[in-house]
Formats: sequence, C-alpha cells, structure tokens
Amino acid sequence: MSSGKSFAVLGLFDSADALVTAIPKVREKQLGGLEAYTPYPIHGIDEALGLRRSPLGGMVLVMGVLGAITALGFQYWISAIDYPIVTGGKAPWSWEAFVPIMFEVTVLFATFTAGLGMLLLLNKLPFFGHPVLSSESIKAITRDRFALAIEAEGEGFDAAAAQAALAAASATGIEVLPEPDRGPFLTSDYILRVAGGIFTACVVAGLLMYAAVKLFPVLPPMSHMEDQPRLNAQKADSFFKDGFGMRMPVPGTVARGYLPIGVSSQEEAASLVNPLPRTPEVLAMGRKVFHNRCELCHGALADGVPTLTAAYGGKPANLQAQQFRDYPDGKIFWAITMGKNAMPSHAADLTVTQRWAVVHYVRALQRAQNAKDEDLNQAGAR
Amino acid sequence: MTKQNRTTTTLLRGTLALGLLGVIGAYLKASPERFWANWILWFVLLFTVALGALFIVALEHLVNAKWSVPIRRIPERIATLLIPVVPVGLIALGALPVLYPGTRPEALHNKILAGKAFWLGIPFFSARTVVSLALVLVGLLVLVRGSFRQDQTKDPAFNFRARKFAPAFMAIFALVITLVAFDWVSGLTPEWYSDIFGVYLFAGAFLGGLAVTSLSVLHLKDQGRLEGVRKDHLYNLGGFLFAFTVFWSYIGFAQYMLMWYANLPDEVIYFQTRLTGGWHTVTFALAFFHFVMPFFALVTRDAKGDGSRLRRVALLILAAHILDIYWLIFPILPGGPHLSWPELSFALLFLSGALLWIRGAMEKGEDMPVGDPFLKEGLEFRL
Repeated sequence: MSSGKSFAVLGLFDSADALVTAIPKVREKQLGGLEAYTPYPIHGIDEALGLRRSPLGGMVLVMGVLGAITALGFQYWISAIDYPIVTGGKAPWSWEAFVPIMFEVTVLFATFTAGLGMLLLLNKLPFFGHPVLSSESIKAITRDRFALAIEAEGEGFDAAAAQAALAAASATGIEVLPEPDRGPFLTSDYILRVAGGIFTACVVAGLLMYAAVKLFPVLPPMSHMEDQPRLNAQKADSFFKDGFGMRMPVPGTVARGYLPIGVSSQEEAASLVNPLPRTPEVLAMGRKVFHNRCELCHGALADGVPTLTAAYGGKPANLQAQQFRDYPDGKIFWAITMGKNAMPSHAADLTVTQRWAVVHYVRALQRAQNAKDEDLNQAGAR
Repeated sequence: MTKQNRTTTTLLRGTLALGLLGVIGAYLKASPERFWANWILWFVLLFTVALGALFIVALEHLVNAKWSVPIRRIPERIATLLIPVVPVGLIALGALPVLYPGTRPEALHNKILAGKAFWLGIPFFSARTVVSLALVLVGLLVLVRGSFRQDQTKDPAFNFRARKFAPAFMAIFALVITLVAFDWVSGLTPEWYSDIFGVYLFAGAFLGGLAVTSLSVLHLKDQGRLEGVRKDHLYNLGGFLFAFTVFWSYIGFAQYMLMWYANLPDEVIYFQTRLTGGWHTVTFALAFFHFVMPFFALVTRDAKGDGSRLRRVALLILAAHILDIYWLIFPILPGGPHLSWPELSFALLFLSGALLWIRGAMEKGEDMPVGDPFLKEGLEFRL
C-alpha cells in the first residue's frame, strides 16, 4: 500500500484565467514541479508552467542514428567480411543495397525508443492508477474546474508549504495526493500466465496451419523453388525438338580445358609424359585431389586398404604393388581419365592439370612407402 | 514604396538587362544545344515553382485547412508567375527539333522511338504543352482570381466553389506535372523511362513552391506586413519543407536503386552518365544539399519555427531545386557539367525577371485574404 510519502499537492481554480494568473505566484516559490489538469487544452500554458523540454526527441535521434549505423555495420560485416558472395553481379560491399534495411532499422529503433521511452522512462510506468485519477478533485477537473498540482521532486518535498502556497494563490479544495501504489509487477503468477498464453497461442496457430494445409492441399505454402524456368539435368524438356533437356556438344567442337588426350588405349597412353613440374604447389594440388577423390577406396597411403569397404565387394588396387610402381605415368593418367574395372572415369570431375598433379602425388606416396637406407644419409646431410 | 525598394527594383532591372544581353549573346555565339538546354532549365524551374505554389493553394482548399489561410495570399501571388511562364513555354517549343531525339526524322530508324513517333513528334508534343499551360491557367483563374475578388465581395460562396474545384485541380495538377516531367525532362532521353519520374518532379516542385513561399512570408513579416502570422504558422511551413526533403530523397533513391539493381543497359545508362566524370561530384552535391543539409538543419522542433534558420534552409532548398533541374537536363550535353557565361546570363535574366514579377505581385490585393471567413480561425491557430 501507500508508502506514506506525498506524490503531489493539488488545488482547484474556477476558471482558466484564474489558473493562468495563479501559476506565476506558485511557480516563484519553487516548491516542486508544476502540472496543470484542465477539462480542455489551454494555449500557452506550457510556457506558463515552465515545463522542461522532453528529452524524448534527443533520445529518438540518437537511437535512430544508432539504428542506421547498426544496420550498415551488420550488413557490411555479413556481406563483405564474414561471407562475401557475389549476388546479382554486385560487389560484396554495395552500400546501395543496404539502404532500405538501414531505413527500416532506423525507423524501428526510433519508434521503439519513442514508445517505450515515453511509457517506461518518462511516464515511469508501470503503476496501478495515476494518483490524480483517484483524487477527490477528478470529477471537478473533468467537468468545469481547473487544477494546479505541485509535484514532489526528490526527498525534500514540503507538503505543508505547498498547501500554503496554493491557498495563498486562492485555490480551493486543496488535497494531498499519496504516492501511487507500485505493486510488485513481475510476479511468478504473472510470468506463468503470460508464458501459458504464448504457448497456447502457438499451439492453436500450429493446429490451424496444419488444418489449412490439410484442407487446401492445392495451395502449397511456397513452391517457387520447385517451379524454376530452367532445364534440369537428366530431365525431359519440351523446349528442344528431340525432347531432351541435356544437350550434346556441337559437332566438331571441344570445350575449353577438355582437349582430347590423343591416345586410344592404356598401352598407347604409356607414351604420355607428365607435363607438370614436380613443385610443392603441384604436389599440394595433387594431395588435395587425392584426399577428395581417391583416398576413400585406395586408402590414405594408396595401399589399397580403404576406409569404405564394409558394404562394398570390389577390391581397390594397391598402388604400392610392384606392378603399379613400374607403371609409366601415362598409364595411371589413362586409368583416372577412362576408369578401370569398377573405378569410374574421373574426366568430368577433374581437369587435366588436376589429374596429372594427382599422378605426381601417387608417385610421391609410392616413394615414401619404399624409402631406401641411403635416404637417411641424405636427410642427415641437410 | 520606400527608397530602398526603389533601389532594389532598379538594380533588378539592371541585372535583367545584363542577363538579356548575355542570353542574346548565347543565342548568337553558343551552340544551339546549349542555348536551348538553358532555356528548358529555366522554363521547367519557373513552371515547377509556380505550379508548386498553386498546389499549396489548392491543397488548402482540398483538405479545408485553416492554419494556412493567413498566408494563403503569398502562394497565390507566387502562382501568378504562371502568366509569364506561358510565353517562356511557347518559346521553349523551339528546342524540340534541336534537343529532343524523338522529334527528328532519324528517330524513325530507331525501333523504340519509331513506335512512339506520334507521341514524341512535334505536333502532339506542342499540343500537350499548350493544353497543359491552358489547364493551369484555368486553375489560376478559379483559385487565385476568385480569392482576390473575395477581398472586396467578402462572399463565402468562393470557399465552396474552391473546395469543389480543388479535387478537379488535383487531377489537372497530377496530369500537368507528369507531362512536364515525361515530355520536357525525360523526353530528352526518350529511350530511358521511369514510372516514378513524375512523382520525383512533383516532390521537387512542391519543395520549390514551399521554399519561395517561406522566403516571401519571412520577407513580408520583416516589413511588418503579415501581422498575426506567428511561429506556429512558420512551424508548419518548416514541417512541410522537412517532410518533403525526405520524400524527395525517398523517391529519388528508390528510382536509382531499382535501376542500379536490375542493371539493364538502357536504364542504367541514365545514371552512368550522372555518376562518371564531372557529374559524379554534382550528383553527390545534390544529395548533400537537397537532403542531408536540410534534413539535419530542420530536424529539431525549434528549428522548424525559427524564422532566421527557416530563411536559410528555404534558400538552400531553392538553390538545390535549381541544381536538381540542372542535374536532370544538362547531362545531355557532351563534355561534363557546363557552367560559364551563357548559364550565368540565363540565371541573371530569369532570376531577376521572376523576382521582379513576384515583387510586383506582392503589392497586388490585400496581404491576407480578408474576405475569407476562416481568416480569424487561421490567425488563432496554435500548434
């Protein structure tokens, strides 16, 4: 209940003129903040009361600018730093594309600051009922009387002096208003009811959504991803006369980077020479390709001990065997390009360069698994 | 008329004569493209400002506004600028064969332009311009002459007539401002088009009309002639200026962003020319002076009602509106932004001419619509 402190002292006047003439007399005593309650708006009363300019405008400006900066910074970070990706042919840092979202977030921050700042910070909500609403004078104020209130500011409020000041300004019906009852707000009961309400709303909305989808199956929620105006791989399409979605290359042409290798059997391929130098870069490329494409069956050491054979009947080649160590580079290249036994062709997945690089890497693996004693001497000499 | 006023008038007549000499020189010496680009700049500028002022008058009648009744005579007087704009517009028709590609015979070889040949051709183009000018003169006759007459008759029937006419005038206004935008401005690059272009020019026109109105109100107030016009009225003018700088930027940026995103060659070329070479600076200057500066100058509550600040911002917005029209028209001339004696002569001629006309108009009739029954209510307006 009431803490015993006074919220304000309130007095009534018979006319707007009486109120306006009384205000300077009360104001000069500087007992507390002044507030007027009138049945209709009175022009010029703001200046007479000396009301301080609300800080809300400044708060809204600051938060609006902050909203713009937040939106700009966040978009800059996600699209230019964290995950730069070219969309619609625009550079990752394209400020033009960020402006609409900056505008929206500015408005969002500004309106939230205006609404919540007014209610919570400046009006000091929540409390149950403004003291003036439960005063004796409220009926008169909403009918034909004009009230002036001296509101307590801080601890040193002298209610008696305020009553005297109002009486001196010939106010009638002077009363002291107690502090509003700011009962406990976030009780566990209240939180439970709010959470229960939200939960019920979610369940009801979900059930309604389910019913809607069941009742109107012809209206899928969103099918833009399915209906795309493009040719799908391996699918028929009526666009071309023969009904195939996929097309053969134009006769007599060769795609860039897919020159024919120029030999027609693995025996002939033995004559091919690896065109790549044996540099660390090439070996790194070869290792990457080997990890991605070969290792699953041939094993990390190329010894034919695979990681994935439990459900697989084939026996991958042990590239460490003498037979393969004696293979010329060209025959390995041929096997990768054309496939061998159960191994499919990798020509579509790997470029010529990548295939030659992986040949180098296989050679490095073979050498590493068959190290000679004098290698130690060489390592020691370094 | 005071001595100072007479001196100013003499001075303005001098600059008018000087400008006229320069314009004649430009006609003889400068290239015809440059001469006519200047002419169209000032035709569009004066037309939009005068039309913007008439729009303010019609808006008051349309929404039955009371606060603006005490200052209504000012935009009414500025709107009379439409009378000298008529000959300027008729002379501007001389620019059609020079500057407008749609009127030339070779346009028939261009597939896009050939399809619009009738619309872009000289006969229908001229007919549209004449009809537009005639329509706004009708608006001027009904709204402004009626209001001046009410000073003597004190007949409230005018208010009813104007309120009935205002919606029709709004339709006329929308049509005319769109035609000015599409024909005279975007007709310079007929292969480029933008649906929002008319709205863009409307935002500029309203701002131009408001800026001249605010400047004239403040000027007359300084002379003590608009007694009873207070901070509250100024606040509303400032609020309108503030709101419409934001509206102008919103429309301008929306138009730019969609074209920038789509990146279609025939659309994006318009901004390509304005974002390369010397025009790059002009574009950013326009954004700064037409939006950033007025926005922050007017953002606080006190600023909008502060006469001295309002005067500076109104001047700035008027200058930015001139820059806006320059930015719309001049990039059709090759070789970056032009600013030399022909442009300055045109500015002297048309600015002094318009100022002389408006100064003359400010002496016409009463300073306030004394016959309007809502004048008292307007004077009592408080925020």
